[in-house]
Amino acid sequence: MNIVVNGTNRAVESPPLTPLLHVLREELDVLSPKAGCENGGCGACTVLLDGAPRRSCLTAVGSIGGAAVTTVEGLGTPEDMSAVQRAFVHYCAAQCGFCTPGMILAATAYLERGGSTEVAAISEALAGHVCRCTGYLKIVDAVAAARDGDFDLSTTAESPHTTVLG
Amino acid sequence: MAIHIGRGIASIEYPTGMNQNGDPSQAWIKVKPDGRIDVFSGTSDIGNGAKTIQTQIVADTIGVPYDWVTFDNSNTDSSPVCTGTFASRATFVAGKAVLKAAQRVRERILEVAGLEMEISPEDLEIADGDVLAKGAPTKKLSVGDVAAAATWGHGELITGTGAQLNPYAAISDPTTGEVDGVPHAAISYAACAAEVEVNDETGEVRVTKLTQAYDVGKAINPALVEGQIEGGAIMGLGLGVLEDSYPYYPSAEHRGDDFGSYYNPSSADLPELHNIIIENPSADGPYGAKGIGEMSNNAQPAAIATAVHDAVGVWVTELPITPERVLRALDARAAGSGPRREGKHVIFDEELSINAVGSGKTWTAGP
Repeated sequence: MNIVVNGTNRAVESPPLTPLLHVLREELDVLSPKAGCENGGCGACTVLLDGAPRRSCLTAVGSIGGAAVTTVEGLGTPEDMSAVQRAFVHYCAAQCGFCTPGMILAATAYLERGGSTEVAAISEALAGHVCRCTGYLKIVDAVAAARDGDFDLSTTAESPHTTVLG
Repeated sequence: MAIHIGRGIASIEYPTGMNQNGDPSQAWIKVKPDGRIDVFSGTSDIGNGAKTIQTQIVADTIGVPYDWVTFDNSNTDSSPVCTGTFASRATFVAGKAVLKAAQRVRERILEVAGLEMEISPEDLEIADGDVLAKGAPTKKLSVGDVAAAATWGHGELITGTGAQLNPYAAISDPTTGEVDGVPHAAISYAACAAEVEVNDETGEVRVTKLTQAYDVGKAINPALVEGQIEGGAIMGLGLGVLEDSYPYYPSAEHRGDDFGSYYNPSSADLPELHNIIIENPSADGPYGAKGIGEMSNNAQPAAIATAVHDAVGVWVTELPITPERVLRALDARAAGSGPRREGKHVIFDEELSINAVGSGKTWTAGP
């Protein structure tokens, strides 16, 4: 069968019941979707199917039909990042990076369908994506600001939550 | 049913690094013929920012732009020894090793520049990639030109090594416990104030606000320090009210058996966070820094427990503070046994230990 990944038509040899996650990582060498819990609980394997977030660990590759698969590699490049990617850099919203691709894809879909930039709404929208490093705050701040898009990436956003005492 | 609001506070002091066991870090730096800097260190970066912070230390100490420095920790065989990223030591210990190596590199650059410029090295300084005559900054030579001169003119490699090891402090007097040396290289301090809402019908505890102050000596990279504080806050929240592999330890009863039955905090649990960074410099750390990593998730559970007591008047003395534990504590008080302090009563039993339980054997709760 053939599937469309980040705008490119790719031939797939794996049996149709193979999870899309394993097809991407092991057959097509698309490594940004992460194998976390592999039972749909952590969100690290998230990809976009025709723009909607899906857990690729629970999605049989034969079930996606002609839907376009998008991973973070398809959102932007280091030289030409998407607005959400730029916001994650500017807000220092990644530490180990394992959850980051899934977070960025979920946030991209959330903002594209007109999601509110209220902190509570973003927190609720991303609640299916586990992060064990950041404490979520910088991620939520990045998503809230992402629509602005135009960040100076040579600087890091000043946190409104911090006071420094000398 | 009523929601009760409570506030609590807890603090921690934390010694940075391994101290009594010795934990060396070593670093090696070389300057390429174009003046760009290669740093070799064995410090792994697990998301704590070790690469970024050590790169900053090298760039600032030598006096070159950050993006001139390549930090290579890719191979622990070809890199010098670093015992690793643990004990909150990556900045404090390994960062000191790269600082010392960078100081030696800076001295060598100034020596070679002195020969090229015919000025004594003491009268030279390095800023933003240029060697400048002190007081006469129009006399300058770029670090790239100095490195090229060393390579092609003097037949030299500008290089420097550095190592940091906190010496073992032996107990010299068994009666007084006096130690021969400094027992701890640096002590960090932190405090956490928690605000919670406790539902007295369901027993549910919701953490609504964590205000935390951390003495980090010097925040070499404030955004990364914030990341440690905020990440630690949510880990501490999880330890305080959610996370439990063995709710009836040492019994394996109701043990979660898949990812979905382990309650780690999600973004929906995110409380209001306030970070206070205190810069109370240490004598030994690079630029006065201390460790922040591990102490960042210690004070929250105790602060939450005191906040629960403030809210509903019972002490829950086991973590996490689950709805069941809150309701049992409220029931015990209603039954007249007063505020209950259980104290520790689990004695280590190899047969009942987590290792034995985790090996697939099943156990029923003992007497």
